[in-house]
Amino acid sequence: MPYLQIFLRNSVSSSPLRHSVYQLGNPQLRIFRPNWYLTLVRPGKEQPPDTVQFRIPMEMTKYDIKNYLEKIYNIPVGAVRTRIQFGSNKKTNHLNQKVKMPDYKVAYVQMAQGQTFTFPNIFPEKDQTPAEGSMEEMQNKFMEDEKQRQKLDPRRGGVTEWFGL
Amino acid sequence: MAASSSSGRILTLCKQFQNVFRISSAVNAQQCAVRLTRGQSKHVSEKSAEVRICLVGQHRAVHTSASRRGLEEFFDSPENWGESSVKSGAPWTAKQLRTKSNEDLHKLWYVLLKERNMLLTVEQESKRQRVPMPSPERLKKIERSMTRLDTVVTERETALRLLQTGQEKSRPGAWRRNVFGYTYWYRFKEYAIPWYMNKHYKRKKFFTPLYVQPHIRLRIEKHLQEKARKVRSNKEKLAVLKKKFPHMKVPAS
Repeated sequence: MPYLQIFLRNSVSSSPLRHSVYQLGNPQLRIFRPNWYLTLVRPGKEQPPDTVQFRIPMEMTKYDIKNYLEKIYNIPVGAVRTRIQFGSNKKTNHLNQKVKMPDYKVAYVQMAQGQTFTFPNIFPEKDQTPAEGSMEEMQNKFMEDEKQRQKLDPRRGGVTEWFGL
Repeated sequence: MAASSSSGRILTLCKQFQNVFRISSAVNAQQCAVRLTRGQSKHVSEKSAEVRICLVGQHRAVHTSASRRGLEEFFDSPENWGESSVKSGAPWTAKQLRTKSNEDLHKLWYVLLKERNMLLTVEQESKRQRVPMPSPERLKKIERSMTRLDTVVTERETALRLLQTGQEKSRPGAWRRNVFGYTYWYRFKEYAIPWYMNKHYKRKKFFTPLYVQPHIRLRIEKHLQEKARKVRSNKEKLAVLKKKFPHMKVPAS
């Protein structure tokens, strides 16, 4: 068990010192409790059906992604290609200072075994009618009543109150 | 290959948890696990964590062909798609985590990691679709849980290291002076060659040259002047107040 080792050759939680020097004959480098987080993104350009697009931390390599997805998510990975997206430095804030958007690494992962993936619609339109007698219903009713109070007398036919009478 | 259940999800319960994980006969085992791990509370018992993370246990989960269960874990359960808010419980506290065993902490780390990946995915997609993200406080809760888990694990490692070797720090280092006259804790880095063969390392100066001494002296003077200035300003303030309010009690600071 890793926690019983004293000076961990294999790093814990992928600290910056993870790449301790590897020489021929050393045991396999392992990472326990990786603190790398992947973000699955919808592709901007049309991708082949077996390709999944991720935003990954800069320190991750193609081998890292392959192992990460295979071991943690059980996804059979075929090929991985990465690129670094430069975040623009052109924008300015209200103080006229240059604002840098962060750089990020993008990985295009092609799955093995003929699996396909399409990015789903995570925000479908849902019928928002609240349940009977619930808090939301009471709140909605209250808001509607308030709006009704703010409206002018309908008998005036849209004429504002500024005119007398 | 195991056959798919009606819900389409396949879970091989690890042998050791089949007796532990007690479920009513009416409820489907997989759905129960999914409901437990997804969102209801972060007080996820280690039992429910095991059911999902079989690969960390002794038995590998059976993989079926064309199962996108892997990538489905990057998204919330489909019932929560389109909701304006998703319920979630309190984050893990360090006190609670200290009661857990190492294996449980290890597994919990991966549960939290997957949840965090899911939340990051949802956040990015919500930005893309220009829609508010449901319950963004979940991200903060997860982050705090993970940092606390990290603290607990490092505590345990430090304790073990102290007991076994007496070393306080995992990474060796030394107190060294730099060119500017500051003494700082230099942490050693691992190299394949000794230091006397390392050109880049030899260019670094771990001593203060003599021509820096006047600058150090000026720095010390500045620091002492600032200290004296603070003390003097406090005294003057007190004197002014005492003049205005003669019967004032002097604060004991």
